[in-house]
Amino acid sequence: MAHAATGSSEQYNYDIIRKFTLMALVWGLLGMSVGVYIASELAWPFLNLDIPQITFGRLRPVHTTLVIFGFGGSALFATSYYVVQRTCQTRLYSDMLATFTFWGWQLAVGLGALSYMLGHTQSREYAEFEWPIDLLIAVVWVAYFWVYVQTLKRRSQPHIYVANWFYMAFILATAILHIFNNLAVPVDLFSMKSYSLFSGVQDAMTQWWYGHNAVGFFLTAAFLGMMYYFVPKQAGRPVYSYRLSIVHFWALSFLYMWVGAHHLHWTALPDWTSTLAATFSIMLLLPSWGGMINGIMTLSGAWEKLRTDPIMLFLITALSFYGMSTFEGPMMSLKSVNALSHYTDWTIGHVHSGALGWVAMVSFGSFYHLIPRLYDTRLYSTRLVYVHFWLATIGILLYITSMWVAGIFQGLMLRSFDEFGSLAYTFVETVAFLHKPYVVRALGGAFFVSGVVVMAYNALMTLRKARVEAAELEAKLAAKMARA
Amino acid sequence: MIKHESIETNAGLLIILTMIVISIGGLVEIVPLFYINTTVEKVEGVRPYSPLELRGRDIYQREGCYLCHSQMIRPFRDEWLRYGHYSLAAESKYDHPFQWGSKRTGPDLARVGGKYSNEWHVAHLLNPRSVVPQSIMPNYPWLLETDLDYSDIAERMRALKKTGVPYSETQEEYDRNVAEFGAEVADKLDILNAEENLMKQALDNDYDGQRSRVTEMDALVAYLQVLGTMVDFSKYNEGYFTEFR
Amino acid sequence: MPEWFLWFTRFENSKIVALLLFFVAFCGILIYVYTGKARGQRLESYKYMPFDDEDSDAGRDGEVEEDERRKS
Repeated sequence: MAHAATGSSEQYNYDIIRKFTLMALVWGLLGMSVGVYIASELAWPFLNLDIPQITFGRLRPVHTTLVIFGFGGSALFATSYYVVQRTCQTRLYSDMLATFTFWGWQLAVGLGALSYMLGHTQSREYAEFEWPIDLLIAVVWVAYFWVYVQTLKRRSQPHIYVANWFYMAFILATAILHIFNNLAVPVDLFSMKSYSLFSGVQDAMTQWWYGHNAVGFFLTAAFLGMMYYFVPKQAGRPVYSYRLSIVHFWALSFLYMWVGAHHLHWTALPDWTSTLAATFSIMLLLPSWGGMINGIMTLSGAWEKLRTDPIMLFLITALSFYGMSTFEGPMMSLKSVNALSHYTDWTIGHVHSGALGWVAMVSFGSFYHLIPRLYDTRLYSTRLVYVHFWLATIGILLYITSMWVAGIFQGLMLRSFDEFGSLAYTFVETVAFLHKPYVVRALGGAFFVSGVVVMAYNALMTLRKARVEAAELEAKLAAKMARA
Repeated sequence: MIKHESIETNAGLLIILTMIVISIGGLVEIVPLFYINTTVEKVEGVRPYSPLELRGRDIYQREGCYLCHSQMIRPFRDEWLRYGHYSLAAESKYDHPFQWGSKRTGPDLARVGGKYSNEWHVAHLLNPRSVVPQSIMPNYPWLLETDLDYSDIAERMRALKKTGVPYSETQEEYDRNVAEFGAEVADKLDILNAEENLMKQALDNDYDGQRSRVTEMDALVAYLQVLGTMVDFSKYNEGYFTEFR
Repeated sequence: MPEWFLWFTRFENSKIVALLLFFVAFCGILIYVYTGKARGQRLESYKYMPFDDEDSDAGRDGEVEEDERRKS
């Protein structure tokens, strides 16, 4: 292994990045497969099989946790450790602490998924971990923060590159969100069960302040950090405007934290809160699109790269989906649109256009750039990258369009009246309507997962190639030595 | 005056300023909810859950019901016709955590209490398609097969008491509950008699149709049957609630 | 405590003040970033930072194009 990455391995800690990259692929494959399975359960309910551990209600948090924290989290650890080392031109602070963040994080994700299947959950969306795992996450996060800051402090030049700002904001915001949203009183020290410290309307507001900023900082700010490094690197051109990236950073960090309450329109939450959130959601469109334009325009004057480089295709498509879903989001936060879209599959579609289109695509692009460099070789197959790209794109399109149909038509059915002024449809009639969109959605998911399988194969073969090359090099050296 | 240049080159300063910028939104929107006294309406009838209902609620969370069922009716005509009066903040003031939900793959359950018989609920939970043919809900046969574990019910109520739910342990707390909820409810909120109360409610009502046992089905149906039944809306005129929105 | 200070302790007032402060700060950032030619050049020079570590990467497709660098 040591020979696989000569040179760089001494200057930088690549080992930790390899570990996180590998686990991102493992969790991604697992979490997305669970996603396809629960999507199928909604289309064909017999798939619940009367087994408590795999019913929809218990598997859904397994899916969200594995993809957000398992795949997304590991991808962020990997890329942030890579970016901070490469832009500061220094080795990561403390190999031991970094290794601790690896094992601690994997343990938390694994235990979390297992505990939901066994019925231990806080029932807070995207924060279902019960209190002992929450504590573990908190400790890991402090270690992560410390490693990151100490590495920044060892940098060789005065300026901190903007990608690191985004990663830093992500680390800080996640810490605040995690602590406040998980305040709870355990039943006792040996019980997994706890009760949230807040109740009712305050609890709802805290949860969706967390819920939306998990999207804002975990799934957006951090991946923008990824974008600000890997898009310029892969394009071989610097980012379009560095000044825009500074404005982008401050505006995004400030605005995101206000918008969580748009998940609670028309509820018992006071009107002023949700109106404020809707206003800020509209304003958020500006920095979001500023960032998107900054990323895409990096290619300005070199668009032909899109025709020759499939990795670039991944990154730019990711930015396009980012632009699309950050337009859709503010629109759905308008109270009148929200009245129709809320509680329906439109929301699920919107989330996935961000999660698959933006988060996963930008991660795939970054991984294709990263993996050959981690193993000091070239990618096994560029053609397979194209295959992956098309599988993923078709999957996303099937997913989003079926969820638009499901959400909008269900919303319209639920609010339609007959000529006597009574309800035109019962609830279950709308459920029956959802069957076909649900089948298409599961199919879309299957396309997306098969793309990840192709990627995993490509990565594995690249790794093998690197080993063979290293062995050949060693043999050559040995032969030379013998001759001498 | 801080120069932006010194922010760019100083990790500590960058961290502090980022912290300020990201904290402000949450502070402005969340903190006032705890202090403004119009956030939660003053209505009669809302009480903490009885021990059996509480265990039912725990099971509701365990099975992830909140992922497909909301408990928050919005003030629209179709929702009024389908589910009833829109939900008040007061109705979930003892809910740790809230169960408003975010997705309706199934219908809203905020006022499901009393709409169907216990027998219907049991049949529906065992096999939803036996009563609603197009339903896509999973079957929950194990609820009827599993005896309810209520060994730690007192600890659960004590934990909730720490969060501010008025379960009583002392005579003084009990008297306060009598004054606020009446003697009948105050008895149910007494932690010292939790197990007896739980058994009594399960046996008296026989939610699951098996008189000899107290199962998880008893608890879950007891919880479902109390949802949305606490406030008597005929006592208030509509104008009163709109003041709080 | 003076009268004017109490005015700030009320939420409905302090919210607006906070918002104004942050808006002014934001305008400050905009002005700072986009005025001054020398400052602009200095800021834009940072965008080449990801390319300062090409040592082990030389000859790979990730290299910054020469004409791009000469432009700034």
